[in-house]
Amino acid sequence: MAIDDTGDWTERTLADARDALDEGLFPLEFFHDEQLHQLEMERIFGTAWVFIGHESEIPEPGDYARRYIGDDTFIFVRDESGEVNLLFDSCRHRGARVCRAEQGNTTHFRCPYHGWTYKNDGEAAGIPQKSKAFKNLDREEHGLAHVPRLETYEGLVFASISDEGPSLEEWLGDFKWYFDIHMKLPDGGMEVIGEPHRWVIDANWKTIADNFNGDSYHTAWAHGSVLDLELGGEETVGHAGTGDSMDRHIHCDGHTTSMRGFEDEDVFMTYPEEVVEDVFSRDGLSEDQWQVARQALSFTGAIFPNFGFLHFGDTTDDPDKDVAPFFTIRKWRPLAPDKMELWSWGLAPKNAPEEFKQRMYKMYTANFGPTGNFEQDDVPIWKGITDGAKGQFAKTSDFQLNYQMGLDWMSEMDIDENWPGPGFAYSENLEEGGMRLFHEQWYELLAENPRENALGSPINIQESEDK
Amino acid sequence: MSRQDSEPDQLPNQDRDAELEALLVEREVRQFLYYEAKLLDNRKLHEWLDHIAEDISYRMPRRLMRENTADTYSEESYYFDEDYGSLTTRVKRFDSEYAWSERPPTRTGRYVSNVVVHEDRGDELDVESCLLVYLSRGDSADATFYSGRRYDTLRRREDGSFEITDREIRLNQTILSTDNVSIFL
Repeated sequence: MAIDDTGDWTERTLADARDALDEGLFPLEFFHDEQLHQLEMERIFGTAWVFIGHESEIPEPGDYARRYIGDDTFIFVRDESGEVNLLFDSCRHRGARVCRAEQGNTTHFRCPYHGWTYKNDGEAAGIPQKSKAFKNLDREEHGLAHVPRLETYEGLVFASISDEGPSLEEWLGDFKWYFDIHMKLPDGGMEVIGEPHRWVIDANWKTIADNFNGDSYHTAWAHGSVLDLELGGEETVGHAGTGDSMDRHIHCDGHTTSMRGFEDEDVFMTYPEEVVEDVFSRDGLSEDQWQVARQALSFTGAIFPNFGFLHFGDTTDDPDKDVAPFFTIRKWRPLAPDKMELWSWGLAPKNAPEEFKQRMYKMYTANFGPTGNFEQDDVPIWKGITDGAKGQFAKTSDFQLNYQMGLDWMSEMDIDENWPGPGFAYSENLEEGGMRLFHEQWYELLAENPRENALGSPINIQESEDK
Repeated sequence: MSRQDSEPDQLPNQDRDAELEALLVEREVRQFLYYEAKLLDNRKLHEWLDHIAEDISYRMPRRLMRENTADTYSEESYYFDEDYGSLTTRVKRFDSEYAWSERPPTRTGRYVSNVVVHEDRGDELDVESCLLVYLSRGDSADATFYSGRRYDTLRRREDGSFEITDREIRLNQTILSTDNVSIFL
């Protein structure tokens, strides 16, 4: 569509999107559009629950880290009483930044402009010459602004800059059943190792969202080099729909995960026996969750809109060494239609032996993050998609991208009727329904509809009617 | 390995012969670092590996941004923490026709400067240098940079050349502005 200031641009764009989604398509131009970016910032990132960080990143009172929701900067800080806060980093006097470092420890944040000082729970503690200059100013009303809503799930802190909308509990819905497997499998939970990797790339944020919402089809091609070197087994890296693995694509309350595993085998993502025996626990999980964990080799997944995770077994940094698992979570932060900042954390079971935790972190950097043998090859591809979306041709030719794999008129797809978890599971991974579900939610939020309206592909709709 | 980067340079040595000897060593080290830079700029990665010792520790920690200290690096987070096996694996991966990020290869120009030999133990030397790498990719004039210091331990070989037994790369950047790190520094 052409740039249009007549006011019905949004309406026409959404109508185009609706037409495309009904066909399992998505216009290329949507991956690079300034007006859409503004709309996404307002209607998605202005309302959604966005990942901030893990509590283990700020373990002590006064520990803080600068974090972002869209274009907004916040201070993620544990106060003197041990509570976690998310404070808008803008002085109540003239708006200057009061936090300058990326991470650190402090009892107070002091504005460099006129010296207003705030405790680490946001309370205004000091206003220079207040008795003369601001004698009637109410200190209580001039603390740093708290984000309207802040909630924690298994140490993962999420926030929303909207003061209304579904709770985090409702936002995650039954998908917690799946994420619990990662966070609760080890007794004592998971913890973040060190500081996150951050890098800015020239790609639209929806490219990586697509990738994390069940793109099992890309691994053997984009990551063919990893397969060539046998840095991961065929079942971890190989072509979708091949090998002996039990492959599932799971959709649950708007979030997705894809799993590869082996039926009736003790796999546990190739965690070593001593970790499985000494650290893993059935206490936090149901028998069904435990069985899924037991048979799982790898998981990829995404929580709408901008949180992704990978929990892989059977990978290595050197074919002559033993394989090991890694667990990484990440966030993609849109900066512009053609720019995002990636944040990526390596995690390990808190109570695992120190040496093993270091091995897990090593597996993470060997495979993902800026130096990862997998990820090195993903990012330039996402950049290419964004470049292609930039010009006139995508608009004038109405260039549509194809997400039809797995639609009932395109492929033979089955639902696993015996799947023990909530949502539903396709019984194989040659399908792109997770991406369609992501696009549908993107559409519903831009149209200012409830996210729950997004049903994904026709096969999902059929399923939901059956229920 | 010494990291005396905050220390001022030594005053000129009174002993001219010793100073000449040190200068020759420094020249040898610089020649090696320039040669290494050229190998990497030309993406002669296997030839580069020939100068990597089998007991190599090759690290690039994540730089931190703290309120009061300029030169802090993470004790836990890093981009690289490689041994000979994992470094060799990374090199071999680039031989694959599917290593897309380096097809076509990144155009790089490495500028090595501020070379200081901190300690010469005869068979091994501790060397500090600055590195600036120009990078450009694909069909684009866009360019970006890595900038940092490297702390190396070089071991003399029988053929008169060196091999690297220890390297720590300390980038100036906290937030990387590149798609990925698919080159060696």
